[in-house]
Amino acid sequence: MKQTSIKKMLALFLIAAVMLAAFTACAEKAPDTAQTQQPASDAAVPADDKAAETSTATPEEPVTINFWHHYSAQSAENETLMNVLIPKFEEENPGYKVNAVSHEWADLHDKILVSASSNTLPDVARLDIAWVPEFQKMNILVPLDQQMGDFNDVAGQLLPSAMSTAVVKGSYYALALNTNTKILFYNADALAEAGIEVPKTMDEMFAAIHALSGTNANGQQVWGLNEPALAGWNVLPYIWSNGGNITDDACTTATGYVNSPETAAAVQKLVDLYANGEFTGFNSGAIPMTDGFGTGRYMMLLEGPWKTAELAGAYPDFNYGTSEVPAGSAGSISVLGGEDIAMFNTANKEGAWKFMKFMTSEYAQEEMAKCGQIPVNMTALDSQTVKDASFAPFLEAITTAKARPTVASWSEIDNALTVAMTDMIVNGADVQQTLDQLAVTIDGLLAE
Amino acid sequence: MELKSKRDRLQVGLLLLPGLLVFALFTIYPIVKLLYMSFLQWDLGSMLHQKFIGLQNYIDVLSDETFRIAFANTLLYTLVTVPGQMILGLLAAVLINAIPRFRVTFRVIYYIPVITSWVIVSLIFRYIFNTEGMLNYVLTNVLHLTVSNIRWLDSRWGGLTVAMMLGIWKGVGWNLVVFLAALQSVPQELYESAGIDGCGAFQKFFYVTLPSIKPTILFALVMLTIGGFNVFTSIKMITGGKPMHQTETVLTWMYYKAFNTGSFGYAAALSFVVAVTLIFLAVLQFRAMKQKDAANS
Repeated sequence: MKQTSIKKMLALFLIAAVMLAAFTACAEKAPDTAQTQQPASDAAVPADDKAAETSTATPEEPVTINFWHHYSAQSAENETLMNVLIPKFEEENPGYKVNAVSHEWADLHDKILVSASSNTLPDVARLDIAWVPEFQKMNILVPLDQQMGDFNDVAGQLLPSAMSTAVVKGSYYALALNTNTKILFYNADALAEAGIEVPKTMDEMFAAIHALSGTNANGQQVWGLNEPALAGWNVLPYIWSNGGNITDDACTTATGYVNSPETAAAVQKLVDLYANGEFTGFNSGAIPMTDGFGTGRYMMLLEGPWKTAELAGAYPDFNYGTSEVPAGSAGSISVLGGEDIAMFNTANKEGAWKFMKFMTSEYAQEEMAKCGQIPVNMTALDSQTVKDASFAPFLEAITTAKARPTVASWSEIDNALTVAMTDMIVNGADVQQTLDQLAVTIDGLLAE
Repeated sequence: MELKSKRDRLQVGLLLLPGLLVFALFTIYPIVKLLYMSFLQWDLGSMLHQKFIGLQNYIDVLSDETFRIAFANTLLYTLVTVPGQMILGLLAAVLINAIPRFRVTFRVIYYIPVITSWVIVSLIFRYIFNTEGMLNYVLTNVLHLTVSNIRWLDSRWGGLTVAMMLGIWKGVGWNLVVFLAALQSVPQELYESAGIDGCGAFQKFFYVTLPSIKPTILFALVMLTIGGFNVFTSIKMITGGKPMHQTETVLTWMYYKAFNTGSFGYAAALSFVVAVTLIFLAVLQFRAMKQKDAANS
């Protein structure tokens, strides 16, 4: 009796020990499996490694640079990163190893928020441009122009419009890494059939939207214009091209900008389009963008370079054309997207900076351009690879496109903007009154 | 079980230890930490050096217009889906209990929605109720009941109704299984003697069946209320809170505040408001059931 119970207890301890070992194994394994999607455990990566690192120029122990990004794990970009760029960097910079970890786009944002509070940030990360001001406010990014001696040389090689996404309160907190913007996609057959020229101005565009809306041969409703949401990314090209704005250039006030006559006029256009059944896509029950466009229900839309591949995959026979955003009174001004590369203040700064310079170099940028990433390095932008790329139609628009305000409260401002836009466009709320109210709200958020 | 010797107690303690450790580490610790977080200013600007701000987060939550909408939506969702699931589940259980054959088959059929993925069925419901979706196709093109498509998902009540229908459809099977088990444990003699006393089928149901399965009803009520307050995936997938946060529920709003705006302190306070509400409701439900018990006996 006594012996059996002792045996039982021993077995129990064994099980407990195995379980514990399994837990810790999960937590420690992470750094080796950089190529696959990472589970939550890699937050615990290398706080310890880092402490042991020294920042001498040619360290004896290789220094590991942890790089988090959101090139998806199966993509050509990730292939290039893992098999071309990182080996090349490690060859050029002996003594440095790069541990690249792929995350989902939304996961990466949340992961950085969480890692910041537990002090387990990587050295370098590829960030959506919208995150830069947020992370700057969290005080986890390194102000590069203040700390890196050769910052101006490096930044001088990169496209100024793209670099503007990295400026927060007058300092540079990142380098532009790749960029994109939106241009006009139109149903080429429908335009030809209706005898309409590709619109070059906003007025022509609104006339075309009106002419193309209605019902098709099957009696289904057709809309001239589609936007999948009513956030800044969606409405700003119409507002900017018409001379309106959200805030002043220094992002200190919205009053007089978001409620200016120009902004109100641009919004009123969208309100009228929706009221006439010529504009749709942002309601919960609407047809998804690619499907609506590919099946001839949406005639025109503003979209980024990824749409080319999506349409080729889903609707290979669909005949569409592209053109720059039609010009309003202020010209053709689209909205900048893309990614920046930034260094966290817990990083091994020397190694991190070397890696950032490498990733924005002509060589790395041209390699990435081969997988559809629009370069920001101006020498790479002039290369034949880029001129032949599927994103060539976007290159003109990139130089005139603008970045959304680089303020930490942008996601809340964007939310207030979306709510106000929905209220005006869908519910028919008074435009001027709603924008006046919105200006007060945004001023409050900017002051925080 | 009485613990006779010290050694027995030691053994029990050791057996419990791994479970308690895991429970403490993954349940108790996060709850305590979350409670602590709810008193801190913990947002983008203070991620690394949080400040104690007392009840400010709770004041922010309770004075937030969108929170009130989200709370009202969640309450409505619970008030509709909990009785909806229980009544339909109980009805199906009574019917299945009454048939001599194919009980297992029906049980499996009813249970399939329970084990399907929330994400997948949410997407399917979304496709059905889309403005260009299946339901509108049937209504306009097949039955010719309406001339133009109805925008089911685009309004607050439309979006919520679809989410509630999904919740009921997906939950009936679980209730069915729970109630069926309870029904089978009701002693047959009770029905026989009720029959001798001249009770019809309805009277048997209300005077014999229902009182006998009361503990199960209470159990289901409490579990489903908690489940109702935890509605997240269906709303997130079907409307995403649109339009203008009108279809937000407490959890989708909490997720939005925490991960879209970085307001972790606010989100922590919000989750405690929800937890306190749930505790309050559970106590209320237990009380109500007990009082009925006392009144009956």
